[in-house]
Amino acid sequence: MPMVLLSCDKDIPEREKHIYLKVDGEDSRDFLPVSNAQTIPGTLSERGCAFCGAKLVIGGVLKDTIQMIHGPMGCAYDTWHTKRYPTDNGHFNMKYVWSTDMKESHIVFGGEKRLEKSINEAFDEMPDIKRMIVYTTCPTALIGDDIKPVCKKVMSERPDVDIFTVECPGFAGVSQSKGHHVLNIGWINEKVGTLEKNITSDYTMNFIGDFNIQGDTQLLQQYWDRLGIQVISHFTGNGTYDDLRCMQQAQLNVVNCARSSGYIANELKKQYGIPRLDIDSWGFSYMAEGIRKICAFFGIEDRGEALIADETAKWKPKLDWYKERLKGARMAIWTGGPRLWHWTKSVEDDLGIQVVAMSSKFGHQEDFEKVIARGQAGTYYIDDGNELEFFEIIDLVKPDVIFTGPRVGELVKKLHIPYVNGHGYHNGPYMGFEGFVNLARDTYNAVHNPLLKLAATDIRGGQRKVFLEAAE
Amino acid sequence: MGCEITTKQRAGIINPMYDCQPAGAQYAGIGVKDCIPLVHGGQGCSMFVRLLFAQHFKENFDVASTSLHEDSAVFGGHKRIDDGVLTLVRRYPNLRVIPILTTCSSEVIGDDVEGAVARCNKQIKEEFPDRKVHVVPVHTPSFKSSQVGGYSECMQSIFKTIAATRVEPTGKLNVFPGWVNPGDVVLLKRYFHEMGVDATVFMDTEDFDSPMMPDKSIHTHGRTTVEDVEGSTGAIASLALARYEGASTADYLAKEHDVAAHVVATPYGIGNTDAMLKTISEITGKPIPDSLVKERGIALDALQDLAHMFFADKRVAIFGHPDLVIGLAQFCIEIEMKPVLMLLGDDNSKYKRDPRILALKKDADWDMEVVCNADLWELEKRVKDPDFPIDLILGHSKGRYVAIDANIPMARVGFPTFDRAGLYRQPTMGYQGAMLLAEQIANTMFAHMEFKRDREWILNTW
Repeated sequence: MPMVLLSCDKDIPEREKHIYLKVDGEDSRDFLPVSNAQTIPGTLSERGCAFCGAKLVIGGVLKDTIQMIHGPMGCAYDTWHTKRYPTDNGHFNMKYVWSTDMKESHIVFGGEKRLEKSINEAFDEMPDIKRMIVYTTCPTALIGDDIKPVCKKVMSERPDVDIFTVECPGFAGVSQSKGHHVLNIGWINEKVGTLEKNITSDYTMNFIGDFNIQGDTQLLQQYWDRLGIQVISHFTGNGTYDDLRCMQQAQLNVVNCARSSGYIANELKKQYGIPRLDIDSWGFSYMAEGIRKICAFFGIEDRGEALIADETAKWKPKLDWYKERLKGARMAIWTGGPRLWHWTKSVEDDLGIQVVAMSSKFGHQEDFEKVIARGQAGTYYIDDGNELEFFEIIDLVKPDVIFTGPRVGELVKKLHIPYVNGHGYHNGPYMGFEGFVNLARDTYNAVHNPLLKLAATDIRGGQRKVFLEAAE
Repeated sequence: MGCEITTKQRAGIINPMYDCQPAGAQYAGIGVKDCIPLVHGGQGCSMFVRLLFAQHFKENFDVASTSLHEDSAVFGGHKRIDDGVLTLVRRYPNLRVIPILTTCSSEVIGDDVEGAVARCNKQIKEEFPDRKVHVVPVHTPSFKSSQVGGYSECMQSIFKTIAATRVEPTGKLNVFPGWVNPGDVVLLKRYFHEMGVDATVFMDTEDFDSPMMPDKSIHTHGRTTVEDVEGSTGAIASLALARYEGASTADYLAKEHDVAAHVVATPYGIGNTDAMLKTISEITGKPIPDSLVKERGIALDALQDLAHMFFADKRVAIFGHPDLVIGLAQFCIEIEMKPVLMLLGDDNSKYKRDPRILALKKDADWDMEVVCNADLWELEKRVKDPDFPIDLILGHSKGRYVAIDANIPMARVGFPTFDRAGLYRQPTMGYQGAMLLAEQIANTMFAHMEFKRDREWILNTW
């Protein structure tokens, strides 16, 4: 019985289709969890909205672009100070957020004039910034504000500015995933090919689906520099608006996050014939494999091997120190989607960790195919897990550490289970060789936190619980 | 010289000071025990607000969503409300209150929330004849007001639904502190205890600071019960400490149930706390106890060490919730600081006529500006202006980069304060709160003196 109906779900039996327990010898193709489907109202799901998938995850990463959110102030407030994606220009992207502050009268009479005024104000107030993305939100989409003509008008009046529009209200699709798609497709159709940059290397690529979480992009950029590969654009970690208009110039698209950004890589292949190469940037074995694949494409295998040898010599001993001490630790991964399959095998191979349960907020069928193929038997694979399910799963699998967001982290803290921030990291970057040592260190420090033993101790005496019992 | 009340001239916002109405409504809702607010809108409307609460309190709070999608936008979202309410009732056997909070999307679609409540009540009664679950309609479109108004609106709706009938006199005092920290609630409850006053704090958020227990039990929830709300109609009086956050509920109880409403100046600083205690004493006939006279003395003793030595003439910019900003400005004057800039972050037209602001306007003998409907760009622009020196910023964490980039000391106060540890535990109200805030300000300034090597040697002998 590989699909699982948890007892907390007895009143919503349709949840059985979303939870899979992998069993040895079964053909998991018959038991793929249903995913990318509507959430049952009132279940306390972890999902966000399509607007945040576009603004918070992809567009808002850009370091030189005004993010104009056409809606009430809340959509701006809520997608600000919730991400850790620094830039090399002083974090302009994390400091500011813009809203047209739609009020009732604008809902009644239309908000296009207000949008035009807000766009002009934003450029006037920040005269050094010449690029902007405008997003619709639930109410401005519902009242039918036509934002493209407004942006065209501003661009005709201000020849030095360029504006991109994303029409993806929060109610679109079933999760943030819809927003990724809308932004990807809009960008390739409207902006790619509108600019050319200077080519400085015989080897050029776009690095797609990495958002510079705690410096991931900047760490990996050191590798590309050493390999002599010119990165035409980063989609979108530490990236610029104009670099992304030049994506057509690359010889290769290297994709890390296939869920949020695979669409644009596919379109670049279809429209420009640029091949797509998917890699995993987390983990020693995966990173080495990724570098080998990229170097093979360019015929610079020697450079790749030299880089891998250098990095391995530098970081492997540190990794092994942690591996020795993390062996057998039980991990749960409750994140967006792709990190499930990026991480499950890498923590197993590189750190000896056992991943016992995984829940994806917005993964699709191919994400579950990948993670179930890479993951172990005896592990739960959950689509759109909700709070009561998490409690029950914790009881079933007894994790020593959970990679998840800070709010769920606060929840499981009460159960004496440490969390590591699986979205923004604790102390990253986590990508690359050095990054995976950081991940190992944070995991080790979480699991071996002396406070957990103290928390399990009842000072009134009685049955004393020791550290590992907290999870048994 | 004098105080000028202005309004932001731009249409748009750069860095909002407040979240939207549904966020405030969610904050009021989680203050009730056995209550899960159900946000009728897109999933982001609840997911990000839960994250915001988690950032500030370092705790998890339960808020549900109807997960409104395109089909609801076209055909209406009634079914999703019904499904959401019933799913919550079925899966959470102890649940007693479900406020349904509308958002911009569900208000634009025009879903009939009152109709949904009637249907849900009927269904719950049929399916669970032994349970009473209060389903509360709360209208909080995001394009009106802000988190400040949303907090007030949800509070009032909960009372209108649950406190609909008048109960026998309870002898208790209703207290509406507004959007405050658990530290403030603990302080207020202690004050009432020391005065021998039987008071009920709405909402009782003391357990928003909750423990890790050996038995792994979870205690993070509001402590205001359905019975507390029902009992409010029999109280001797209501005391509202925040004009814009909860006073409307005191007004409702006065109008509908003849419970006298007393709206006092928000008790930030010594004078405002004095006034609050005197009002409590007048309402209840209980004297102000020696213990509070002593606490007041300890606070004054501490403030006296700081005021004319370190605080005097310092130019302060204050932003945040309106009752907090006004109260802190009054407190600044008590400790000889000069509040030169006050920012209030939504379009509520009543701020300009607030008697406390009018009093500041009357008394200020230095230049002071109150900016209404302000965003944090209004702060940043002034802070960057060399002709507008600012010595200290008081406000919440969303303004942190203004202080960081301009290298101005900033004491975190209000909501949210996610970039400092443990502030939610600390009271800001009352004598103790005034003292702790002043000491936090002083220590912030001292650390800044050391960091900038700016007369740090003064502290060699202090």
